[in-house]
Amino acid sequence: MVKITSGVGLVRGIIMSDYDSITITNASVGYSKDDPLIQGISLTLKPGDIVAINGVSGIGKTTLLKTLAGLVRPINGDITIFGNKRTKRGEVGYIPQRLGLIRNSTVQHNVILGAMAGHTRPWFPFSRDTKIHTKKAIEAMGIESKTRVPVGKLSGGQQRRVAIARTLAQEPKLILADEFLAELDEETLTKVMDVVLDYVKKKNAIMILVEHDLSRAEKMATRIFTAENGKLVEN
Amino acid sequence: MDKNSEMEKEGDAFSSLWYKFRWLFVLFTLVSLAIWVMNSAIEGQWDKLFESPRNARIFFMESLWPPDWSVLEPRAYPVCERTGWLDFTCSTAWIGVMETIKIAFSATVFGMLISYPIALLAADNLNSNWISYPARFFLAACRSLPSILWAVLFVIMVGLGPMAGIMAMTIYTVGYLGKLQYEAIEGVAKPQLDASKAMGHGWLERSFGVVLPEAANGLISQAIFMFEYNFRHGTVIGIVGAGGIGYYINLYLEFLQYDKVFAYVIVIFVVVLILDIISKLTRSLFNDEKYNKRPSWWSIFLPAAMVQHPEEE
Repeated sequence: MVKITSGVGLVRGIIMSDYDSITITNASVGYSKDDPLIQGISLTLKPGDIVAINGVSGIGKTTLLKTLAGLVRPINGDITIFGNKRTKRGEVGYIPQRLGLIRNSTVQHNVILGAMAGHTRPWFPFSRDTKIHTKKAIEAMGIESKTRVPVGKLSGGQQRRVAIARTLAQEPKLILADEFLAELDEETLTKVMDVVLDYVKKKNAIMILVEHDLSRAEKMATRIFTAENGKLVEN
Repeated sequence: MDKNSEMEKEGDAFSSLWYKFRWLFVLFTLVSLAIWVMNSAIEGQWDKLFESPRNARIFFMESLWPPDWSVLEPRAYPVCERTGWLDFTCSTAWIGVMETIKIAFSATVFGMLISYPIALLAADNLNSNWISYPARFFLAACRSLPSILWAVLFVIMVGLGPMAGIMAMTIYTVGYLGKLQYEAIEGVAKPQLDASKAMGHGWLERSFGVVLPEAANGLISQAIFMFEYNFRHGTVIGIVGAGGIGYYINLYLEFLQYDKVFAYVIVIFVVVLILDIISKLTRSLFNDEKYNKRPSWWSIFLPAAMVQHPEEE
């Protein structure tokens, strides 16, 4: 729902407020003030935007995602995510490069963690909704036969689908995905891509993905950026 | 060849020699230092060390051997109601061992339940230093006294018997297991915690939904190890009146009946071996896949580093 605030503006014919968009103003990211990885990032992302970032390894793409996820503080500049300086519970779905799955736990447990973040309160993380969202997400990723299998026993591609299911069950407004399509075969990749694109379109969410494969990036993204020489340049 | 280059060559030869034998030199220095420190501690009375084998032989032949197996016979009082081969369950050795196992089991379960929440607070990847340091301080305080000293304290508080033993061992378990637990929690991989933080999970969800299942294998394995450890230490706390087989050992030590003490020591050794096998088998179920092998019975006699897994051969 669009809230009318002082920050309301008209972009491409739709009413957009600060509460729906992400604004990055002159931000630098990295782990040291003296040696920032990417500097002077300024961009505004509106609902439905899918942004792909590419660039050589170690340039700071993952650090940028972590900064947007609230895991690393920006060195300077200003980042406003849906009208706030700090992200709220369930707003951001993050798929790390190494997936961040609990290997000893079942697929269901891993996906339910996403549903809990998106549909319950922190001090009472139990709701009937979580089961429904978990089931839907698992089915969307085609891993329903593995529901009770420990994640550690799945193949790399299946684990990736579990991580994506966790994010879909959460229904976040912002998805941050770090090379989330790696290790998938062509058929599964197309299916997963369709499901994710469909989700972004339906929910009017924003997605930022790190993707090395330019052809894939072009298929998915509405905007493509390249990180080079400490700058983020739009292609 | 000029003088400078000759000196350089000599220098290179020396440094390469030093590099080759550096570990030998460090070892030699350490051993020499230890001998020097020991010499000052024993005030040069090395003759005591050389006399010791003779003393040990006399003590063993005259006092310890043969062990007095009457400790496995039923006690005269109270009268044993069990008949046949089960009458050994009325013996002091059996009663003592069972009491020690009960103390070790209760203390491990209670200790584990108390230590986990404290370990969660002590882990620095889940909390700021303001929370983790006081929790670590508490755990360090619990294990700063050995269980035998805690037992003395609790014997004063609750009187003689297993209650004091259970309380003493529980406190020590909280300190010892808590440390192992928070180290296991800190070992949880960063991507798991990052994903959880980004999603916005609360502390409780992260601790029990992410950290607990991720570290579960390690935590269970540690708890089983702790039970085995508590049994071994449970044999000692009886000496100060906190129950268990140690009570009987202390009793016969006071009467200088070393052959009976020796029989108890053999019984403890056998029980420790059996517990060790059970503990290893159980722990192997909770280890990572590559270590998920049934341990061979002889491996319990060897240090872990010497036990080779079949696929490594």
